[in-house]
Amino acid sequence: MTSTKEKYIKFRILLVAVAFSLFFTAIGLKAAYLQIYQGTWLSQLAADQYEKSLKLSGKRGTIYDRNLTEMAVSIQVTSIAAYPGQIQNRKGAARALAKALKMNHRTLRKKLASHKSFVWIKRQATPREVENVKRLKLKGIGFIPEYNRFYPNKTLAAQAIGFTGIDGNGLEGVEYNYDSYLKGENGNFTQLRDALGHGFVSAGEKLPDYSGSNIQLTIDRTVQYIAERALEETVTKFSANSGIAIVMVPRSGAILAMAHYPLFNPNVFRGFNSNDWRNRAITDPFEPGSTMKIFSAAAAIESGGSSPSTIFFCENGAYRIGKKVVHDLDAYGWLSLQQIIKYSSNIGAIKISEMVGPERLHDTLSDFGFGTKTGIDCPGETTGSLAPYNRWSRMDASAISFGHGISVSPIQLITAVSAIANNGILMKPYLVEAITDRYGRVVHSFEPQKIRRVVSEETARMVSNIMKTVISKGGTGTRAALEGYSVSGKTGTAKKISEEGTYAEGKYVSSFVGYTPVENPEISVLVIIDEPQDKYYGGLVAAPAFRTIARETLNYLNIPPRGGNNQLAVSHQAGSNG
Amino acid sequence: MVIFIAELLIYTWSRVQCTQIGYEITQAGGVHQKSITLQNNLKIELAQLKSPERIVKIARDQLGLIMPGPEQTIVMP
Repeated sequence: MTSTKEKYIKFRILLVAVAFSLFFTAIGLKAAYLQIYQGTWLSQLAADQYEKSLKLSGKRGTIYDRNLTEMAVSIQVTSIAAYPGQIQNRKGAARALAKALKMNHRTLRKKLASHKSFVWIKRQATPREVENVKRLKLKGIGFIPEYNRFYPNKTLAAQAIGFTGIDGNGLEGVEYNYDSYLKGENGNFTQLRDALGHGFVSAGEKLPDYSGSNIQLTIDRTVQYIAERALEETVTKFSANSGIAIVMVPRSGAILAMAHYPLFNPNVFRGFNSNDWRNRAITDPFEPGSTMKIFSAAAAIESGGSSPSTIFFCENGAYRIGKKVVHDLDAYGWLSLQQIIKYSSNIGAIKISEMVGPERLHDTLSDFGFGTKTGIDCPGETTGSLAPYNRWSRMDASAISFGHGISVSPIQLITAVSAIANNGILMKPYLVEAITDRYGRVVHSFEPQKIRRVVSEETARMVSNIMKTVISKGGTGTRAALEGYSVSGKTGTAKKISEEGTYAEGKYVSSFVGYTPVENPEISVLVIIDEPQDKYYGGLVAAPAFRTIARETLNYLNIPPRGGNNQLAVSHQAGSNG
Repeated sequence: MVIFIAELLIYTWSRVQCTQIGYEITQAGGVHQKSITLQNNLKIELAQLKSPERIVKIARDQLGLIMPGPEQTIVMP
């Protein structure tokens, strides 16, 4: 009995031991299986629960003016997207979203019925719209942070700065040209999160910054405003089609203002005519007319064939070249080279070019930069057109001497005139002063670049003095005269070429280009008015706008009137001549 | 044994502190981001308020100012 009982107890012990052995073996095997075969997968599964992968898109860099005032900034907005596969009641969701976003519910229903895994519902929604949609608590709706480009000065310098598309890529102007610098990068960041899904940053970790570089322009916001306002007033006053004004620092080539009219607002650029988006100061060539006489005179003086007092016979107002007769506005007999520029005699300019010869005239114009790009840092620059001199007919050579049969861009013209102001040295025009990184440190700065000496210092001085007489009594540009400052300049009036390729009757381009103060030029200004009505002479239409821009800019830049040596200027009374 | 338990407690306390500070850093990061956004918005607002168009309008319409001519300008010695 005892033996049987002992056997039974032993058997039970053995049974329990076997059971436990099997149990522990199973646990061991399972543990080994989980650790050895499924270890990687399980680690990933666990990591997915406490790690959160964030997609970060860098902010587009800011564009500043020369005084570091914001001209283009990126602001964070939220875009609303949908994952149609996760939405159960698509019709109901479409109706609710349409109400919250004030959108067409059929359009939304189509979007939600899509087989795509992701569709945009509304890009760059307003904070109120985002709040309305969040309140709906719909499944399958995502809120994606994005950056929206904003131009706080609205229309100011819009054509020069350009704009970006909805995806933040530069489409025009500086935004396009410097897109690779401005554009932020995209990157991933893994953040820890707790059991409740809250983000958790451990000590020493920092969210990476993928922002793009910033751009500092040479443009001065106030000078730009002065130029735009003067241009708007002139275009409106003469019911003209459009206008362009450029303000440049002659000794450096830095652009202080590049104004266009009509204006457009880059914040809502699609609401404006696409022709108004273009930076026409760079892209559009035009026949300059009499402003080119400056360079014919420079060629004549530089060749050594004449001086400002050399006289030319101006054929009493009519000069036959082959089958064509060239006329002057007034009949002139003998005029000195200086008087030819002062009175803007076409026949006089032809006589100068005949004395200089086509090769020399062509070379001088080429040296001044006509027929080639200036290299300004803007997209779509035109070369203009200057045919090789060996293809010129006698009439071509004559017409080119007074600015017809040649086309130039506004930027070429002001750069060339600035070379005269700069003692004969041609500078490369530029719009961007510096590129800074996200912390404001300069990574690249653009210094003034000398292209070449075009004419001698002596020739430049003589041409400058000749241009000064244009503003004096009897000259064509008297309305450009500034009280307290000396001005050198030249008027231009050119007939426009029609679509048929002939000169259109009654359609003119009026222009004025000059610089001030002559003794130490601080600014050069070009004003071009396209198709002014009633009056069309450059001296009547463009010269007053030059005067306004130059006067207000000199005042703003604290450049004292003649006789003053100090930099600080103040107004002591509000007079009545403003 | 006492030393072992004390070490265990100190270790636990420092882990808790570490986690707590992590949360505080996260919160501070959020506040920092919000402050940067606010600062950017204020900068934009300032740029708009200082726009020459607005200033000229106020100067002309509200204060009756005009652009001074050369004869109205005194050069400070």
